[in-house]
Amino acid sequence: MSDSDTATTFEGKSLPKSPETFSAEEEAALRESLRRCSPKAVEAAIDYRKSGDPRHLPVVIIGIFERFVEPDLRPRLAATDSDDLRVIEDLGLDSLTMMEIVMLVEEVSKTQIANDELRQLSTLGDIKAFVDARARGLPPPPAAKGYDSAAVLEKMPIQPPFLFLDEARVSATKATASYRITGQEFFLQGHFKGNPVMPASVMLEALGQLGVFYLLAGLPVEAGKVVGAGTIFFASTDGVRCHRVCKPGDVLSLTLKPKRVKAPLAVFEGSIRVGQEKAVIAEEITLTFGLVDAPSPEPAVQS
Amino acid sequence: MPRVFITGIGFITSIGNDAGAVETSLRELRHGMVRYAPFAADNIPVKVIAPVRDFETDAAEQEDWVIPAPYKLKREQLRSMGPNALYATCAIEQAIADAKLEPADVSNEDTGLYAASAGSPNILVRTLNRMHQVGVMRCAPLGVVASIAGTVQFNLVAHLKILGASTGFSSACASSSHALGFAFDEIALGRQKRMLVVGAEDGNFDAILPFASMRALSINPDPDTASRPFDKGRDGFVGTGGGTGLVLESEEEVMRRGITPYAEVLGWGQASDGHNVAISHPDGLGLASAMRRALKSAGVTPADLGYVNAHATSTPIGDASECKALRAVLGEHAARVAVSSTKALTGHGLSLAGAMETAFCALAIRRGFIPGSAHIAELDPACEGLNILRATQVASPGIVLNNSSGFGGANVCVVLRPAR
Repeated sequence: MSDSDTATTFEGKSLPKSPETFSAEEEAALRESLRRCSPKAVEAAIDYRKSGDPRHLPVVIIGIFERFVEPDLRPRLAATDSDDLRVIEDLGLDSLTMMEIVMLVEEVSKTQIANDELRQLSTLGDIKAFVDARARGLPPPPAAKGYDSAAVLEKMPIQPPFLFLDEARVSATKATASYRITGQEFFLQGHFKGNPVMPASVMLEALGQLGVFYLLAGLPVEAGKVVGAGTIFFASTDGVRCHRVCKPGDVLSLTLKPKRVKAPLAVFEGSIRVGQEKAVIAEEITLTFGLVDAPSPEPAVQS
Repeated sequence: MPRVFITGIGFITSIGNDAGAVETSLRELRHGMVRYAPFAADNIPVKVIAPVRDFETDAAEQEDWVIPAPYKLKREQLRSMGPNALYATCAIEQAIADAKLEPADVSNEDTGLYAASAGSPNILVRTLNRMHQVGVMRCAPLGVVASIAGTVQFNLVAHLKILGASTGFSSACASSSHALGFAFDEIALGRQKRMLVVGAEDGNFDAILPFASMRALSINPDPDTASRPFDKGRDGFVGTGGGTGLVLESEEEVMRRGITPYAEVLGWGQASDGHNVAISHPDGLGLASAMRRALKSAGVTPADLGYVNAHATSTPIGDASECKALRAVLGEHAARVAVSSTKALTGHGLSLAGAMETAFCALAIRRGFIPGSAHIAELDPACEGLNILRATQVASPGIVLNNSSGFGGANVCVVLRPAR
C-alpha cells in the first residue's frame, strides 16, 4: 500500500494521513476539545497535527486518559508500566467513558476506531499501539487472543501438578496470564512449615511457562517454521526482585513482554502482580528454543 | 386498601432550596422572580423568570456547572443529566433524608420511582447542532439520555439503585401530578410499599421561551407583579424550573419505621377536556370532572375541604376557567373554602408544578398555615363567589385539594388530609 497520500481505510473511505495544512480555526477547535487535558497533551496534539509525526500521539493519549480518570489514579498513568493498565479494571472507566475517550482520540489523530476494533483494545498499551499503527498507515496490530485452561493444557508440554497458568492471553507484543494459588500445590506442604508461601523460584517458573506458551501460541518466528514444543528450555534470568509474599488465595497476574525473539533465544521482561500490588519483577528471562518445519497446511482443520 | 402517606419532601425551587426556606417564602409571600439577563435582548418581549438560586447550569458541559454544598455529584453522574435531573437528584436526596430512609430502604423491590420532566431542550438542541455541524460520531455519547423526556427517571433510578416500579409521565403541566397519582395507586393496590415521586424542569432560556410565541408568558417586566394569578391585570405565566421530591409510603411502612408523616394522600382523580390542544376548556369542564373524581376517590365532599391549591398560572383564560370549575364543584362551599395559587410566588414549573405544589400542601398541613395568593392588586371579577386567600393564614388547612392541568386538556387533582 502506498504510504504517500492515504494512511488507512475505514469502511471503504480513505482518510488523509495528516492534513496538508492545519488552519488556525482547526487549532482553536482542537484546543477547545482538549481544554481539560494537560497543556503538554494539547501541545503534543497540535505538534502531531502540524507534523503528522505519530511519536507525539502517546503523550496525547495519556493526556486524554488523565482528563477522565479519577484524580487519585492519575499518577499511575505516568508510571513506566502504564501500558499494562487495563482501562476498565485498573482505571475504573466504564464503556461510556471509553466512548468519550475514543471520540477525543479520533479527533486528534484524525482516525476512526470501529466498534469491533474498540472491543479488542483492553489496555492503554493496546490503544497506543492501535492508534500508532493507524497514524503510520499500517494494519492494526493483531488482537490479543485468549486461551482458557483447557486450551492452555492442550498446548503446553508442561502439565499439572507443575503448570502455573490458569488462562492466558497472547498478542504480538505481550502475553498475560493468571494463576490462582490454591493451597493444594504439593510444595506448599514444606514451604514453609505451617506457613504456605509461594516459592520465588516457582513464580519465575510461572513466568518462564508463560514464555513457553507465547512461543507455542504460533506467532511466526520464521516463515515455514514453528517452535518445537519439546525444544524450549529455561536459559537464564536477570534483575529479579521480589516485592510481596504470595499465599494461597492470591491470584497472580503475570505479564511477559518479548524484547528479542530470534532462534535459538527468546528474551522477555516479566512481572507478576497481585491485584494492584507488585509481586515479582524480572528484567530479563531468556528461553532457548528450536524450530521445526511447520506442519503441512490442512486448511479445513488449521487455525 | 393500604393507606398512603407522605413521609418526606425536598425542594430545589425558585423560592427556596430546602423546606425551611420554602416555608418562609410561603408564609411571608416572598416570590422568586427576577429580571432574567438572558432575556435582555430587545426582540425578546418576556423579561422575567423565576430561576433556581445557587446553581449555575447554563454552561454547555456539566463539569462547568456550579453546584452548591452539600450536593456532590461525580462526573459520571452529571454527564447524563440536564439541569432538571440535577435539581431532581438534590430534591429527592432531601426527601429521602427527611423521611429518614437508609439506602437499603430505597433500593429494594418494594420501592419504586415515578418522575416527570419535559426533557432538556437545551441539551437536545446542542446535541443536534453538534451532530449536524461536527459529525454524527462527535456528539456527547449521553446527549440523548440527558435530553429526552425520561431523563429524570433514567438518572434517578440508576443513581438511587431503584429496583421497583419506575417510569415517567408526560402530560405537560399535569405530569408530576400524574406521577403522584399513579404512585399512590402502586401503593394502594399493594404493588409497592414505597414510591418516590419527582417533578423537575430546567426552567432556562430554551425551556421557557418557546412558550412566548403562543403568548402564554407574561411580558410584564416587573418581577414583583409579573405573576399574579386571579388578578384582573394578569397577562401570562412566569416560567420556573427546579425539582421537588416526595416520599410516599404505605401505612404499614409508616408504622414499622415509626415515622411521622406530613399528610395522608386520600385519593386522586383525572379527567380530560376533549377540547383544545393547548387552551383550557372555557368552563373548566375537565378540571371540574377531575376534582369531583378526586373527592369521590378520597371519600370526601366539598363540605370537608379547607383549602384548594389552584393550578392558576396567571394566564387570562386558564385562571378564569378554573374559577368556573371551582364554583361548579364547591357549590355552596365556594365562598368558604380557601383558594390560592402559589404560582404567584414560584412561577409556573410546568412538569414540576404538581409535585411542587403537593409538597407545599403537605408542608402547610404539617406546619399549620394556608399560603396566600400573592400579587393581587385588583381581584378579577371572574373570581366572584370564591374565597381567594390574599394573605397567608396561620391555621390548619384541613383537607386540601391540589389542582393541575396540562396541554391536551389533561386535568389531575390530588386530595391530602392531615395524618392521623
